Amino acid sequence: MIEQFTHFFSILINLISSPTNIIILFVASFLGIIFGAMPGLTATLGVALLTALTYSLGADTALLGLLGMYVGAIYGGSYPAILINIPGTPAAAATAMDGYPLTQKGLAGKALGLTTTASFIGTIIGLLFLVTLSPLIASLALQFTSWEFFLLALLGIILSGSLTSPDLVVKGWIAGLIGLLLATIGRDALQFFPRYTFDVPELDSGLEIVPVLIGAFGIPQVIRALTNTHHVKPPIFTGSILPELKSITRNIKHIFRSATIGVGVGAVPGVGEDIAGWVSYSTAKKTSSKAQQAEFGKGSETAIVSSETANNACVGGALIPLLTLGIPGSPPAAMLLGALLLHGITPGPSIEIDHPNFLLEVTAIMVLASFAMWANGLLLAKQVIKVLQLPTALFIPVVGVLCILGAYALNLNMFSLYLMIPIGIVAFLLGEMKFPISPMVIGLVLGGMADESLRRALLLSEGSFMPIFERPVALLLVLVMTVFILAQFSWFKRLFSFEGKK
Amino acid sequence: MKNVVYLFCLTLALVASSSHAKREYPTRPITNTVVWSAGGGTDAINRMLMAEMAKELDVRINVVNKTGGVAGSIGMNAVLRKRADGYNLVGLSSSNVVAAVNGGWTQKFDVWSPFIVGSSPDVVSVPYDSPYQTLEDLIQASKNKALKGAAGGVGGIHHIYLLELQKASGADFKYIPYPGSAPSQTAAITKEVDFVVTSMAEQAALLRGNKLRPLAMLHPDPYTLEGVGEVISAFDAYPSLSERLPLSQAIGFAVNKKVPEAVKTKLIEAFNKAMNSSKVKDWAMKNHYQLSGLSGQLAEQEFARLESIFTWTLDDLGANKLSPSKFGIPKP
Repeated sequence: MIEQFTHFFSILINLISSPTNIIILFVASFLGIIFGAMPGLTATLGVALLTALTYSLGADTALLGLLGMYVGAIYGGSYPAILINIPGTPAAAATAMDGYPLTQKGLAGKALGLTTTASFIGTIIGLLFLVTLSPLIASLALQFTSWEFFLLALLGIILSGSLTSPDLVVKGWIAGLIGLLLATIGRDALQFFPRYTFDVPELDSGLEIVPVLIGAFGIPQVIRALTNTHHVKPPIFTGSILPELKSITRNIKHIFRSATIGVGVGAVPGVGEDIAGWVSYSTAKKTSSKAQQAEFGKGSETAIVSSETANNACVGGALIPLLTLGIPGSPPAAMLLGALLLHGITPGPSIEIDHPNFLLEVTAIMVLASFAMWANGLLLAKQVIKVLQLPTALFIPVVGVLCILGAYALNLNMFSLYLMIPIGIVAFLLGEMKFPISPMVIGLVLGGMADESLRRALLLSEGSFMPIFERPVALLLVLVMTVFILAQFSWFKRLFSFEGKK
Repeated sequence: MKNVVYLFCLTLALVASSSHAKREYPTRPITNTVVWSAGGGTDAINRMLMAEMAKELDVRINVVNKTGGVAGSIGMNAVLRKRADGYNLVGLSSSNVVAAVNGGWTQKFDVWSPFIVGSSPDVVSVPYDSPYQTLEDLIQASKNKALKGAAGGVGGIHHIYLLELQKASGADFKYIPYPGSAPSQTAAITKEVDFVVTSMAEQAALLRGNKLRPLAMLHPDPYTLEGVGEVISAFDAYPSLSERLPLSQAIGFAVNKKVPEAVKTKLIEAFNKAMNSSKVKDWAMKNHYQLSGLSGQLAEQEFARLESIFTWTLDDLGANKLSPSKFGIPKP
């Protein structure tokens, strides 16, 4: 163990002793934050683009840049979520729930400072898991087969549905179901059968997430600003960005629990930051006191800390199956796999044979990446809150243009725009009727997985639903879901509190 | 008003083309659109090769991914719609030849002029602690109870290998579709399926790390994998496999066939130089790929052969939407 530690520090010192490495690290991390923060540019795209640029560099240096980008981009998604209520990535949708209310109260700086530090702590805890428990977690991740993937996707949708609804919970679920419906558009993944494509070739591959995300969150925001004649500017933030130690210690149990959730969700192949934020948010709400619970959705510190810690801890989690099994845990991790292969490193169970100490090296790089993110984050936060001081007449058109650019830039495809605008208008109308939008987007993100996994599972079991009750993880997921749904009914709550009194 | 706009555009085009005429292709960055997802075999090979070719052509080559549709039809459609000037390449593999018969698009594959980088032989593997010790065990067991097998997506090369094995051995397999090789292998590790057929390049790390155990190569030659040992060829026990196999996986890229000859020659030159570079050779060896290096007419013939075998195999199985004869694809 001690030998490992000395080795770890020698790698760390080796890495930072070269000034080029430091420059690449900070630039990549900075670009990552920008990628995360711009609607339309995602962590996945950032890592993919950087892969080509780092081809000629050494493997260490390239990895430094790529991981810096990945960590930065996951964190960067929280900026627009907090400042303008448009999550930069689906992962930050849970952060917007409480981050934006804080901005409206004039506490944008505090919110950004808190999420920066929480993201940093989340990443570091994710790493501790990566180093110490990766074989164990990898074997747990292998408990997930088609049934579990289906149930997990469903759980994600139900959680986000029940948490985000400002009105009736069932409205959240309806929004989630609309998302699921949207996810069925396109060729089905198992047999290529066209569903709701109306012979439009652009619909063959289904609805792109990014234009829908931007349309659903960005357009309503722009419409609302236009219809609002007396716009109230959020008060100017004057305090310090660096969070007080007290607000961190106050939330320390939430930080630890959220990080554990993040690592767990991240380790499951194919499931990423999007679910982690919601699961963590709901757990935080359940375990908070009554008074704190009332704060959720209105600008709770605990809420943003939980979702941001979890989605960053996910990065460490996603690396576990990648490095130990060669299976990427999330979409950006899949890009990372490609980059590693380019540099002649094949992650997987044979990595300890071919590249001993690679795990330690990745850990050292991740530690540096989180430091770079934290430093960049605190420096940037102070500057970015200034955008709130811009006059609405100037600010909203810029947001509108960025939304359109973001949706177009992904594929350089006009069709994305034809998709984004109607979705935006529908989302605005739904929002006016007090339907939450997040579950719809989460439904679309996870719907494909739910649909494909369920059908494959039924194919494997020859049409029987019994395996759900025979597999421990699946059973657990079903129980959690049932309790969650029943808990929304008053008779169930009464029954529960009655038994509690007895 | 419209006329003025047309005139203006025409002048611009003329000026642009005359200034271009003075300099040889390529004068601006080239874009390579890979139709499979980033991180996969086709993507990795294209990114590596393009970096080497960029050195020869002395321009940047941007590699982007445009996945989806049927067997990569969306990416192929997008590139084919662009001007045939050699500035747009498409990164693809032999699995793309089934796009037309599955209803993805309406073109025969001969709209492309392909460049074949290489392939990796297919291997049948089981979970490491599976009860099946040999390929015979697996096939015998399947006759009592259908065994579940994963082999990438419907109509892909690994699917065809699985079907050929089934036909040659009389086994009863139940094919379970997965979106690609990596998820198929994961399904074998989690024991959701009983066995998996993918390429050696894709499986090597899992075989060496004792997550999967190889039973046999679906290739005429045995394969020696460092740390695992020699993997026997299934062709010895089931000679009828050699009727239509081996099919090369043919990973590479292609350019619109209508590009000017001069552009094609330039690309072939750069391709040959890149293929002979030590960087590409080392990479291929480390990653269990066998290099091919076919281009021009030879590569077109190879793809025509693959198209005919792939599409008619699917037709035999009734797994296609449209008959290959509708596109004038000859029987193998």
